[in-house]
Amino acid sequence: MKFLQSSLILTLVTVGIFTMPQQVVGQNLNESQLLHPTTDIWPTHNGDYSGRRHSILTQINPTNVKDLALAWAFQTNQTATIKSSPLLVDGILYLTVPDNVWAVDARSGHMLWRYTYPPNKGDHIGQRGVAMYKGYIYFLGPDAHLLKLDAKDGKVIWNVVVADSAKGYWTTMAPLVIRNHIIVGVSGDMDNLPGIIRSIDADTGQSQWVWYATPPAGTPNTATGGPAWVTGTYDPDLNLTYWGTGNPTPVLQGSSRPGDNLYTCSIVALDPDTGKLKWAFQPSPHDTHDWDAVETPILIDGTVAGKPRKLLAQASRNGYFFVLDRTDGKDILTTTFGPTNWALGIDKKGQPIPNPEKDPARDGRLIAPEESGMNNYRSSSFDPKTGLFIVDAHPSWSIYFTKPEDGTYGWAGADYGLWGKAVIEAIDYHTGKVRWSRDFGTGGASAGVLTTDSGLTFTGDNHGNALALSTTDGKTLWHAGLGQGIASSPTTYMLDGRQYMLTSSGGVLFSFALPE
Amino acid sequence: MMKWTMSAVSLIAVLIAYNCSQNTVNAASTNAITQAASASHNSVLTHVIQASSAGMFAQAKAPAAAPIPVVENTDAVKAGSQVFQNNCAFCHGRDAAGGEEGPDLTRSKLVAEDKDGDKIFPVVRNGRAGTEMPAFNLSTAELNNLQAFIHYRAYISATQKGGRRGVDVSDLQTGNVEAGKLYFEGAGGCTKCHSATGDLAGIAKRYEGLALEQRMLNPSGGKNGVNLVKVTVTTAAGKTFTGSLAYQDEFTIGLTDSDSTYHSWPTHLVKFTVTDPVKAHIDMLPKYSDENIHDLMAYLQTLK
Repeated sequence: MKFLQSSLILTLVTVGIFTMPQQVVGQNLNESQLLHPTTDIWPTHNGDYSGRRHSILTQINPTNVKDLALAWAFQTNQTATIKSSPLLVDGILYLTVPDNVWAVDARSGHMLWRYTYPPNKGDHIGQRGVAMYKGYIYFLGPDAHLLKLDAKDGKVIWNVVVADSAKGYWTTMAPLVIRNHIIVGVSGDMDNLPGIIRSIDADTGQSQWVWYATPPAGTPNTATGGPAWVTGTYDPDLNLTYWGTGNPTPVLQGSSRPGDNLYTCSIVALDPDTGKLKWAFQPSPHDTHDWDAVETPILIDGTVAGKPRKLLAQASRNGYFFVLDRTDGKDILTTTFGPTNWALGIDKKGQPIPNPEKDPARDGRLIAPEESGMNNYRSSSFDPKTGLFIVDAHPSWSIYFTKPEDGTYGWAGADYGLWGKAVIEAIDYHTGKVRWSRDFGTGGASAGVLTTDSGLTFTGDNHGNALALSTTDGKTLWHAGLGQGIASSPTTYMLDGRQYMLTSSGGVLFSFALPE
Repeated sequence: MMKWTMSAVSLIAVLIAYNCSQNTVNAASTNAITQAASASHNSVLTHVIQASSAGMFAQAKAPAAAPIPVVENTDAVKAGSQVFQNNCAFCHGRDAAGGEEGPDLTRSKLVAEDKDGDKIFPVVRNGRAGTEMPAFNLSTAELNNLQAFIHYRAYISATQKGGRRGVDVSDLQTGNVEAGKLYFEGAGGCTKCHSATGDLAGIAKRYEGLALEQRMLNPSGGKNGVNLVKVTVTTAAGKTFTGSLAYQDEFTIGLTDSDSTYHSWPTHLVKFTVTDPVKAHIDMLPKYSDENIHDLMAYLQTLK
């Protein structure tokens, strides 16, 4: 366990941990816990600010994992699929599907409260979780509203507009909390709209700053788009927050938006206090295939040529794996992690050079990967011991079409997946080489990934089996058929001396632990 | 107070530009997507016809001109539009003509054959196994409105000339028949399994356009609904079962035998061999040039 810097908070929390039942601390989450989460909480979408989804827990290990058994299951009774990673603070889990938040006892799986958002016109494609700060839950409705809920009972404290859903924005993501900044991104590529990242005051709900990915709609010869719809990461030492931005609009037709279309399909480093851009790197310049570069930019404190470096790695939807210096955004490694056929090469900055012959066309272009990409919103994991970046990859092929009569608004074309398969790949971040991979067969991608210090990789296949693999070689050590595809990423925590692994399938949340 | 940040653009410039852009978008929205999302559905038809009359892309093989029954823009259509926007638009597009991955419903065979939801409702209620289509828990009223909206969009799509976003048969005519024949008989390796006068004779009568191209590139949908992937399982007792592959993951293998009976085994207790004739098609995906595909299409379209 690591402890806390602020002396006042240190005293309070220490009292809470060592001398009082945890309930006394009571649905509270402070800055120090966000900076240094202990193993009895999972306080942010990714568990910590680095986004690496790695736990230091070792109770469940490669030897005993074969005995892993169901501790409890929580039924949302919704047809909506769970895509969120539940937060865990003070023994209570906070879980979502669109329009719904549940508080669930992490020990027993029984419901404490449920909040239901009123009917609204937002797109209900998914809800990827909540954020927490102090005693409050921050939840995005489908209609691009941010709600502050009392963590004790789910009562609404305030409800503010992040973006105008009537224009075509919607929201699905788990906000990122940095001090009193609740940082949120939007979705919305069915319309020509600039993507935004907005910071909202945790107390008042006032907007603090807005960063625009692109110029306003209607600016000649520019793209709109670049919505940041997956939660970013944060380096407290550099005070920089890292976000991936989505594809440009019009989506498949690039003729009205010549050039690179900054800052769409980009990884951006922003000052969380001002929203000012520090640097940007663009995985897909002038994208015409809907390949958002929103996949979690994972922060790695690693080495390059033996020297310690502050790195950032992304397995991007377009099929490329990037390792950057996160102080300045300079490229260290660019490679592919599956079949791609759309780039002419790599430029001086380390960015792929799109092949104009592979832009969608009237008579079709064969493209790898398909539109949903080699990677998508489900989380990858970085295992520091082995240096492996483990991703649920989706090698795939498709055909892309566009023609002038499709116009230059919104989708502006059509694409059809031909074939794909699910593969869990372990990429060595030093070399970009795939050290092992596990092929789970034809179909869509499988599940998000979690690694632990005991050498386990928790994930799933694309049939609905939850899996524990050996991190060193990918061998299956445990499985449980959960009945439906796994659209979320697993998490883990330790309560009362017992390690739990959480995953979901369809609308059910499952908690696994070793037998008592 | 809001602070606005945007690299190299001042606060005032952003606000002015933003206001201008809103006007620009409004003025320029002669687009079916924007219009479909608005309440004024009656204007959709007008705009679509205006937009496509400049296009001049008639179908290469226009079906015999049967009159298309008019579908009115009723209150149910309007209510169904909202159900569709909330639940379906992400994948199928706001106007049901296709979006991220989801097929164009306005050209769907199932929608064309549907009567008052008899085909649509089961798919919406249950989802489609083996696809990305999930199940939705909608009320009967919502389902009724939803099918009304989908049929309305299909009508709009059918009555517009050319076609937005969908792929027309006329779009897939850029290949060279001779080059396609050469590729079919040579580098493509097609004749290892197929014959232009045998199994593929008349293929262009059975499929056309995008459906033909998709089937050419990946026919794993099967033949007359029968899975082409075969499996032979030998049990520890030495008994052999053969049939169509029905299920396979790391732990379980399942087949349907000639009697349509399903059998399954734990993979570690049996020996099995999977034979997938479609694999040759998948193996070709990294090898085709776009020209190869267009030429092959040109050639296959002569096999009538």
